Amino acid sequence: MKPRLVFRLFLALLAVFSLAVAGCGNDDDAPSGPAPATEAPAPATEAPAPTEAPTEAPAPEPEEPFRVAVVAPSASNDLAFTQSMYDAVNSLVASGQIAEFAITDGTFIVEDAAAAIRGYADEGYHLVIAHGSQYGGPLEEIAPDFPDVSFAWGTAVDTFGLPNVYSYSVRSDLGGYVNGVVAAQLTESNVIGVVGPIEVGDAKLYVDGFAAGATAQNPDVEVNIVYTGSFADVALAAEAAQSHISAGADVLTGSAQMVVGATGVAQENGVLWFGTQANQTALGEDIVVASQVYRWEVVLSKVVDQVKAGTLGGETFIMTFEDGGLDIQFNDVMDIPADVLASAQATIDGLSDGSISTGQ
Amino acid sequence: MNDFFTVSIIIATLASGIRLAVPFLLAALGEAVGQRAGVLNLGVEGVMLIGAFAAYYTALETGSASFGLLMGLVVGAAMGLIYAFITVVMHAEQGISGIGIYLFGLGFTDLLFQKQVGTPRPISGLQTKPFDWLANDTGRAGELLFSHTVLTYVAFLLVPVVYWLITRTTFGLNVRAVGENPQAADTLGVSVNGIRTAAIIIGNTMAGLAGAALALEIGIFQQNLTAGRGFIAIALVYFGAWRPVGVMTGSLLFGIVSATVLQLQVQDVISGSVSSIANMAPAVLTVIVLVVVSRRIGQPAALTRPFTRDG
Amino acid sequence: MLEMRGITKRFPGVVANEDVDFTVLPGQVHTLLGENGAGKSTLVKILYGLYQPDEGSIAFDGSPVNIDSPSVAIRTGIGMIHQHFMLVDTLTVAENVALGLGKPLGVNNLQPIRRRIREVSEEFGLHVDPDTYIWQMAVGERQRAEILKALYRNVRLLVLDEPTAVLTPPEVTDLFVTLRQLTSDGRGLVFISHKLNEVMEISDEITVLRDGRVSGRTTPSESDRGSLAMMMVGRPVEFARTIAEQTPGEAKLEVQDLRVRGDRDELAVHDVSIDVRAGEIVGIVGVSGNGQRELAEAIMGLREIESGQVSIDGQPVKTPTPKHVRSMGLAYVPEERMKFGSVGDFSVAENLVLVEHDQAPYVRYGILSLKAIEERSRQLVSDYSIRTPSTATLTRKLSGGNIQKVVIAREFSGGAGVLLVAQPTRGVDIGAAEYIHEQLLVQRSQGKAILLISEDLDEVMALSDRLVVMYEGRVMGRMNREEATIEQVGLLMSGVGEPEGAAVGG
Repeated sequence: MKPRLVFRLFLALLAVFSLAVAGCGNDDDAPSGPAPATEAPAPATEAPAPTEAPTEAPAPEPEEPFRVAVVAPSASNDLAFTQSMYDAVNSLVASGQIAEFAITDGTFIVEDAAAAIRGYADEGYHLVIAHGSQYGGPLEEIAPDFPDVSFAWGTAVDTFGLPNVYSYSVRSDLGGYVNGVVAAQLTESNVIGVVGPIEVGDAKLYVDGFAAGATAQNPDVEVNIVYTGSFADVALAAEAAQSHISAGADVLTGSAQMVVGATGVAQENGVLWFGTQANQTALGEDIVVASQVYRWEVVLSKVVDQVKAGTLGGETFIMTFEDGGLDIQFNDVMDIPADVLASAQATIDGLSDGSISTGQ
Repeated sequence: MNDFFTVSIIIATLASGIRLAVPFLLAALGEAVGQRAGVLNLGVEGVMLIGAFAAYYTALETGSASFGLLMGLVVGAAMGLIYAFITVVMHAEQGISGIGIYLFGLGFTDLLFQKQVGTPRPISGLQTKPFDWLANDTGRAGELLFSHTVLTYVAFLLVPVVYWLITRTTFGLNVRAVGENPQAADTLGVSVNGIRTAAIIIGNTMAGLAGAALALEIGIFQQNLTAGRGFIAIALVYFGAWRPVGVMTGSLLFGIVSATVLQLQVQDVISGSVSSIANMAPAVLTVIVLVVVSRRIGQPAALTRPFTRDG
Repeated sequence: MLEMRGITKRFPGVVANEDVDFTVLPGQVHTLLGENGAGKSTLVKILYGLYQPDEGSIAFDGSPVNIDSPSVAIRTGIGMIHQHFMLVDTLTVAENVALGLGKPLGVNNLQPIRRRIREVSEEFGLHVDPDTYIWQMAVGERQRAEILKALYRNVRLLVLDEPTAVLTPPEVTDLFVTLRQLTSDGRGLVFISHKLNEVMEISDEITVLRDGRVSGRTTPSESDRGSLAMMMVGRPVEFARTIAEQTPGEAKLEVQDLRVRGDRDELAVHDVSIDVRAGEIVGIVGVSGNGQRELAEAIMGLREIESGQVSIDGQPVKTPTPKHVRSMGLAYVPEERMKFGSVGDFSVAENLVLVEHDQAPYVRYGILSLKAIEERSRQLVSDYSIRTPSTATLTRKLSGGNIQKVVIAREFSGGAGVLLVAQPTRGVDIGAAEYIHEQLLVQRSQGKAILLISEDLDEVMALSDRLVVMYEGRVMGRMNREEATIEQVGLLMSGVGEPEGAAVGG
């Protein structure tokens, strides 16, 4: 009996420790969120807050410190999906639009995310961002329980007809198209490889846009597309890249957090890389040509303004080059021919004025 | 476009399959040793993650991939000591303890990665190719056999080594005995707990090595880097009927099927929704084989049973 | 050569050995006799280093020894043949012998071990092939492999824990020849048994244990079965039963050409036909594993019947499920009382009504009537003299004999006309066994038809009106009690003779 008891204690300790570890990850991020706020130029909204009675109005008063929470599936520094939102919220903190910011990241299990979303709403955050298309189901159930809290969900285009849900998305096919146009000019073998995760949502948009752009630029270019079936399997992404290279590809691109495996293979073989979701130049200064970058702060800023004005939801935002939500960032260190850069800009202009279509 | 069946593509696909098989092979060989001694470790995935992070972080900080490899082995062995304490000394239920180890490994590596590294930073992995000089002179077969990194050869060399260890040494005889009938071994003066502890440490060290091999091969770390490989390795032990050669066959099959699915997409033989289904092929194949071959012949009779003298 | 003095061993709540003295001389067979739980196993486990005594000392060859593990015991020269063989099934004989011998990190060279095994095997006539896997061997062979394992280690004192429990009578004879050969070389043997005939045959000296203490020391020439049983139980025990003559009635249970498959899909019961009439006991004898369990399970509806027919009271069993078979008037005492006969974590009362719990008066409108259950169980506890603190006591806390009485009380009191009884006294103390035998005869006199399956040849010979011997799933022979002799039945049990083909009812 005795060793059993000792073991139970041990197991309990282990469980507590694991929880502490999980919790730590978030506690760790929470201070790093608001931290820039104190450094930032003091916003005008800061002072009068204490005198205001919080019970006064359902919609948050402009004077009250505006609190935002984010729930996201991968790590906040994944150089991809979650980091793009993390950076956006921080930039609004820096500009003073948001006073307080908390994040729960790494919740790839939907049930955990649902619990976090409910928790933040319960704690009286003004805006809770469910940053993952897989969180739609729980959000549809949670949002009606908190009519005074605004929710934002992305990437998605559905607000479930609820008055307190915003949805946001991005035309990632646009940046994909531009990347494709550039890639088609830089390939010498006329073979380009794409490493995708699962054929859904944002990733599929990007991949399809990229293929359309590359073939529009040069019909002789062959774009080989592989979906690995996983957002997380770095090693499989690496092998997918290897397969592309063995099939003659000299330019690669890919979407989602597992592409860090593919960039390693690209680096090793001296093959060019195009990134998306965040600036991936850090993964290889010699090979990363350009990255499509999401500026969620563009959407976020609009949402925050509307929430402050009392409109808690009911609208869908889709970011494009025009509204500044999309951006192509080239690698400063790399020597990219001027005509290529010019063609990229021309493509962006054409996509914005409607003279070019990605086919989506 | 449809030139999948050219020799060079087939060679490249097989080579890719061999590379993918390495982490499975290392982890499953180690798990097989532990299971032959009667100890099930469902925490392989967690130990792999810890080994992978240790190897990656050490290589990142010191710039030496070899030193990283060493650290992967050391933390694997340390996890083995911990697991032996839980299961052998404390007689804990092995299934639950293993899940505990997995959750610990997943959470702990994530925490350390966030705190110590942050953004994924590439390292120069273990790219030594000991037989590369042979690859050029021996044509395409040479490319398939001699173009791999050193850990690949280590993994496949460990197949006969583990076979020899289990079947030809006194230690191996003791391992088999304590896995089948620990009471009998005990009455002959074999230290059941000692042998099981040693087998667990060997198994976990190899799991740590498997993680290190993964991180050093792709030269990066990320949350949940192993992506379920540890669990598949456990399935491959059953698949291989607890024999090193069987485990190797399973690992190679799994790796080559995965590589083939990727290559078929590259060659545009399959695409779209077909590829989503094809991506499941290795897992589905494993399940089918496990069901068909579920004779359970060769399963150590005392597997998951803690040893006490009171029986 | 061995002297154990004042050995005391306590477990929480129990004193397993109290001040036990035990000595063995070279060349002697010294028997430890006692009921289950009398402390025999504890004493030899202390001798073999599996337990440490709380008090007392052990001397071997005149010098004190401290045996704290089996390896020390082996080094001292003490070997043990456990009741459940300590052999690794998936290893060969040579590998089993090699276990624990070589250097921990060395290469395992079996060649010299094989040679030695052949030498030792020849010397003692054990006929064991070093390269055979244990799982391929018959029970008797396995025992010889165990003995060989001990001899290989040059043991001078060999402990045999119930070595005859799994053997057929001819195998027992062979074993005794081997044992005598061992003592003629000056080895000492400790023989553990509760079969009084064997004890009288093989022993030089007998020490009887009861409740952890030595209750008597004697030799076969100074004692008889009655006096030994008295020392074991503490009161006189009746051996010779007088079975009243009575004429059996109509056939109540008829089994025709039954074929049943075993757990590994082998043909376990091969065209067996048996019938049992009202007011008689038919005994099935055979070494365990020869199809008796499968036969009982098939009759009870627990195992699929491949072909053949079972009839109760002249009615063929159409849907062979336990519930239906019971409703046709069959009661069943299964061989493993803890596994199949009762629920250990249920109270005595709950186990007593387990079969009838879904019928009035124990249940009304789907709700258990605790009062009725309590009344019924009190009645049965007193009728069958079940020794339990209360009817609410958890069944697993009772002794083996009393658990068996709970099962028997439930099955015998239910009014079924046919009783299927398997191994009713296995592992049960002599007192309880005596009582159970008495109850079987009472049921017989009440006109019940009883099919008794037992490995205990003495039991079957003492109680049955007719005997059926089974070997490898077939009926080897049938006889009336008056015709049967131990020698003849023993030969049939070990497969000597012609089995019945497609047999006609007996």
